[in-house]
Amino acid sequence: MLQTAERGASKSKKAPHKKYLEAFRIMLQTRVFEEKLASLYRGGMITGGVYLGKGQEAVSVACGLFLQKGDVFAPLIRDQAGRSAFGEPLLDVARTYLGSRQGPMRGRDGNIHRGCPKAGQLAMISHLGAMISVVVGKLLAKRMKGEKGFVGLTTIGEGGMQTGATHEGMNIAAVERVPLVVVATNNHYAYSTPNDRQFGCADLVDRAKGYGYEGSSVDGTDLAACLEVISAAVKRARAGRPPQLVVASTLRLAGHGEHDDASYVTDDIRREPFAQDALQRTEQFILEQELMDREALQQMRVEIAAEVDEAVATAQQEDTPVGSEEDWCAISTRELADQIP
Amino acid sequence: MPKIPITMPQLGESMAEATIVAIKVQPGDKVSADQEIIEVETDKAVMGVTTPCAGEIAKIDAEVKGTYAVGSVLGYVEASEADAARFQKRAPEPPKGDMAQEVPGREEESAKAVKTENGSGSHFQVDEAGLPPVAAGSHFQVDAAGVLPVPAGTKGAGYLSPRVRARMLELQLTQADLAGIAGSGNAGRVTIKDLENFLGGIEGQPAEKPSAIRTGVADAMRRSWTRPLATVGLSICLDPVLEDRAKRDPKPGPALYALRALALALAEQPNAAARLIGGRAIRSESIDIGVAVEAQDGIMVPVIRNADKTSLADLTGRYTELVDLARRRRLTGDMTSGGIASISNFGTFGLEWGTPIPLPDQTLLLGMGMGKKVPWWNETKSEFVPRTEAQLTLSFDHRSLDGGGAGRLLKRVVELLGEPSKL
Amino acid sequence: MSVTYLEAIREAQTYLLREDKRVFIYGQDIAGKFGGAFKATKGLAEQFPGRVLNTPISEDAMVGTAIGAAMEGMRPIVEMQFADFSSIALNQILNNAGTQYWRTQVPCPITIRLPSGGTKGSGPFHSQSMEGIYSHYPGLVVLTPATVEDAYTMLIDAVAIDDPVIYCEHKYLYYHLKADALPKDRLPIGKARVVRPGRDLSIVTNSAMVHEALAVAQQFSADGIEIEVVDLRSVKPLDTDTVLASVARTGRLLCVGEAFPWGGVTAEVIARVTTEGFHLLDAAPARINAKDTPIPYHPNLWSEHRPNAKTIAAKVRQVLAE
Repeated sequence: MLQTAERGASKSKKAPHKKYLEAFRIMLQTRVFEEKLASLYRGGMITGGVYLGKGQEAVSVACGLFLQKGDVFAPLIRDQAGRSAFGEPLLDVARTYLGSRQGPMRGRDGNIHRGCPKAGQLAMISHLGAMISVVVGKLLAKRMKGEKGFVGLTTIGEGGMQTGATHEGMNIAAVERVPLVVVATNNHYAYSTPNDRQFGCADLVDRAKGYGYEGSSVDGTDLAACLEVISAAVKRARAGRPPQLVVASTLRLAGHGEHDDASYVTDDIRREPFAQDALQRTEQFILEQELMDREALQQMRVEIAAEVDEAVATAQQEDTPVGSEEDWCAISTRELADQIP
Repeated sequence: MPKIPITMPQLGESMAEATIVAIKVQPGDKVSADQEIIEVETDKAVMGVTTPCAGEIAKIDAEVKGTYAVGSVLGYVEASEADAARFQKRAPEPPKGDMAQEVPGREEESAKAVKTENGSGSHFQVDEAGLPPVAAGSHFQVDAAGVLPVPAGTKGAGYLSPRVRARMLELQLTQADLAGIAGSGNAGRVTIKDLENFLGGIEGQPAEKPSAIRTGVADAMRRSWTRPLATVGLSICLDPVLEDRAKRDPKPGPALYALRALALALAEQPNAAARLIGGRAIRSESIDIGVAVEAQDGIMVPVIRNADKTSLADLTGRYTELVDLARRRRLTGDMTSGGIASISNFGTFGLEWGTPIPLPDQTLLLGMGMGKKVPWWNETKSEFVPRTEAQLTLSFDHRSLDGGGAGRLLKRVVELLGEPSKL
Repeated sequence: MSVTYLEAIREAQTYLLREDKRVFIYGQDIAGKFGGAFKATKGLAEQFPGRVLNTPISEDAMVGTAIGAAMEGMRPIVEMQFADFSSIALNQILNNAGTQYWRTQVPCPITIRLPSGGTKGSGPFHSQSMEGIYSHYPGLVVLTPATVEDAYTMLIDAVAIDDPVIYCEHKYLYYHLKADALPKDRLPIGKARVVRPGRDLSIVTNSAMVHEALAVAQQFSADGIEIEVVDLRSVKPLDTDTVLASVARTGRLLCVGEAFPWGGVTAEVIARVTTEGFHLLDAAPARINAKDTPIPYHPNLWSEHRPNAKTIAAKVRQVLAE
C-alpha cells in the first residue's frame, strides 16, 4: 500500500520526515474508515458506541509509527490512526464494530476496547489512567526477562491526566525507570468539559518535571512536528533516558461519541490554531510542497475506499456471537470455576 | 429487487426512541450508500439517519413528527442483488424475547414501524379493579396500620421442617403416621431426630404389609378427616319397613329402604349433598348413592346410580349384584366412583349407633344401627307397646351443611321410611 | 521446632522465589532489612536480589504493574500492607485483572496477598475482611487459609494458578497459630475441609473464625452435642458439595463469618444450601457475622463487633432449639 505514496513522491521534493507520507496515508485511511463507521452508526449497523479520533490523527499516527515488534502500545479511544500504524489489521476493527464473532474480542468487549496483548497492543479498560501501570508492568517484566531495546507507549487525554490512577502510574514508571512514553493529547474537551474545569496548572507538560520525566510539547495539527517530537521521545526512552511526557494540542473535531453533537464547543475555540484539521493541513502541505500530485492523491483515496469497503463488507457477512455457544467461564483454570447453582 | 430496511439507529446508549424532524427523500428517489435521508432528534442532538446501501427508496413508513423506537423500520431501500447479499448474514438465529434491538438486515423480516405514543400506560401499572377487595374491619386487624400480628415463633407442633417432609415423602409417611411422636423441638415440633428415633423404635416390632384395600381405606379416611365432620341422629320405628319387606320378593334389606329414602329426600333437597370446593358449592347431576360393604380386610363402597329414579324392587337386584362383586373383589373403578352420599349399615355388626366418616369426595353418610325391640309409650293407649327401633345417623361435612339442614334431611328420610310401600 | 502461620507464608514465598524464576514480590516496605509491616518477607530481599521490590504508596499502580508483568509471563505476588488498602486497587483488581482473560484470552496470573481481619486496637481501616467483595466479581480466585499448613500450601498453589488470586491471610493468626512443621501433603485449592466431625449441627466458616468455631464445638461436646466444623479454605470457588454433605449429616447449619453482614460468604453458603439442599434442613439455616458498623478501635468494642465464642454459642443454641 506504500507504493502509491512512494510513486507519488518519486518526482517530488523531500518530505519533512521520512515517514511523512506513510503517516499521511494512515491518517487518510483512518479518516475514511471513521467516516464510514459514523455513517454505519447512523444507519443503525453498529453494535455499541462509536468514538472517533477526528482531529487527532497526526498525534495518534505518530504514537504507533515508531514502535516495533517487542514494544508495548496501550492506545485509548481516539487512536485508530495509532493502532493502524502499530499494525492492527483494518479487518479486526471492522469485525469488532460490526459484531462479528471473528473479531479479536469475539463480542466479549466492544469497539474501542479491542486489543491484542500478544501482539503488544493492550486492550484498554474504560477507567482512565488504568493502563499506564499495566504498561509499566509489561516493561518491568521484559527487563527482568533480560530483553533489551524495548519501549512502551501509552496515550491519555487532558481529562485522563486528572485521575489518581494516572498519577500513580506515571510515578511508578519513574520509580521503576522503565522506558515509557506517555503521549497526552489535550483536545480541549473531556466529553463536554473544557480545560478550566480539568486542571489548574498553566501547561500539562509542566508536570513532567514533577514526575521526573522529560517533557515536550507539540502542535498536534502539524504532522511533521508530531513525527519529530514523538519519535525523539520514543528514541530517548529506548536509549534509557527517564520516562517521556509529550503533550500535544488539538481540538476534538467530533463529538465525544457519535451520539454527541458537541454543541458545547464554542466558536472562539474553533478559531484557535489548535482547532485546525490535521489531515487537511497535511494534505495541503503535500500539494504545496509537491510531495504528491493531485492525481496520486486521488488514486490513494480510491485505494483506501476499496480497502475500507472490503473490510466492512467482509465483517458484515460474518457470523455474530451466540449466547448458547459462548464459553461462560471467566477464568483460564477451568477446574477452579465456581459452580453457581 | 430485494428490499433492505431503513431502521431507527441506536444513537447513544440510553436512547430508546427518537422523533423524526425531516424526511429528505421520497419513494422512487435514487440514493447512494451512507446518504443522510432522515433527520431525527433525540434528547441529546439532531442527527441524520443514513441509508444502509445504495439503491432506490421503495417506501417510507415513517412520518415527520412521529416518534419511533430504536430498531423500528422507517422504510425500505430497493437495492441491487450484490448490495443486498451483504445483509445475508450467516448468523444463527438470535434468541427471541427480551433481547436488545436487532441490527437491521440481520433478519429478513424486521418488525414493522412501531410508533410509540407519549403517555401510554406503564407496564407496571396495576389494574386496581382486578384486585380482590380488602376486607374492612377484619378482626385480625390489631393496629392502626392494619398489620396482622406475627407469631413470635412459627415452628410449633404442626411445623414439619423441609428435611422431615422430605424423609416422610421418601418413606410415604403422612402426618397422621407421626401422631405417636412426642416432638422434642420448639413447642413440641417433631424434629428429624424425633422422626428417626421413632422409626428406629418401631423397627423391631412385628409388622406386616397391609393389604391394598386397607391402605386405600386408610388414605381415604385420612383425607376425609381433614374436614370438620359432625353427626346428628334420630330413632326410627322399623316395623313398617319390616312389614313391607315381608310382602316383597326379592326382599330388600332395611339399608336399601334407607338408601331409597335418602335418594328421594336428596331429590327434594339437592343442596344438602353439595360439596364445597374453592368457594363454590358443587352439585352432582344425578343422585348416585354408595353402599358400604364389608369385604375382606376393609370396606368397599359400590355406587347405585340414579337411586331416586329407580324403584326399590329394581334397586334390590342391582344391590345384590354389587355386593356380590364387592365380596369377590371384582368391582371396577367406575362402580365405586361418583357417589354423592353413602349408606353404612353398621347395625349388621350388632352396633346401635356410631359416627361414621363420609367418603372424602362426599358430604354425607347415612348410618343405620341395629334394630331391636324396645318398649314404646303409646300416648293414645297410655301404655308401653313393643316396637322395633333403630338409630339413624347422618354424618356430614359441616362446611357444607349445618345441624339444622342435616336434621331436616334426616327427618325427611324418617318420614319416607314411615311409608315404605311408596318407596 | 515449630512454625507460625506467618512463618509459613514467608517459607512459601522463599520456596516460590527459589523454585520459580518468574516469581517476584511487589509491595510497600517489603524489601531491605525491614521485610514488611508484618515481616512476611523478612530476609527475602537479601536472599533474592532484585526480586523483592519496594513500591511507592500506590496500590492501584502496584496491581496494575503486576498485571502487566503477569501478562508478560511473570508470576508477581503483590503484598498489600493491609487488606483494607486494596480498596485503592479495586479498579485494577476487578476491572483489569478480573476481566483480562475473558476479554483477551491472555491469562493474568497475579497473587495478591491481603493481610486481613481484625486484631485488637486495629480499628476501622486495618481490620477488614474483603473476601466477599472479591468473590462477587467474576474472574478471581479467592482463598482464605485458616491453618499453618494451608497458609503454606495454598500460597504455593495460588502462584501456580493461571488466574488472579486473592489470598486473604489473617493477621490474628500470624503469631497465634503454630504447627510442628511445614506440611508434606496438601488438599487441592477449591476443596473445603471438615476440621471436626459432628452430628448435631454444621458450622461452616473460614479463616480465623474456624478457630472460634472449634472452641465452641469443644464446649458443646461436654454436653453431648457434637458440632461439625467445615473450613471453606477457598471462598471462590466455593465447595458446595462438602458443605451439603455436612448438612446432610447434621440437618442444621450455622454460617460464621468475620466480614460485614450484608451479603457475603455466609449469605452465599446459605443461599446454596437452601437451593440445593432444602430437603436436608431440619431447621432454618442461621448466620452470624460482624456487626453492620465500621470495625471499632477499642478492644472491648472490637471483641463484641466480631462473632466470638460466646455469640456463636448463643446462635448454636438457637438453631438447636428450633
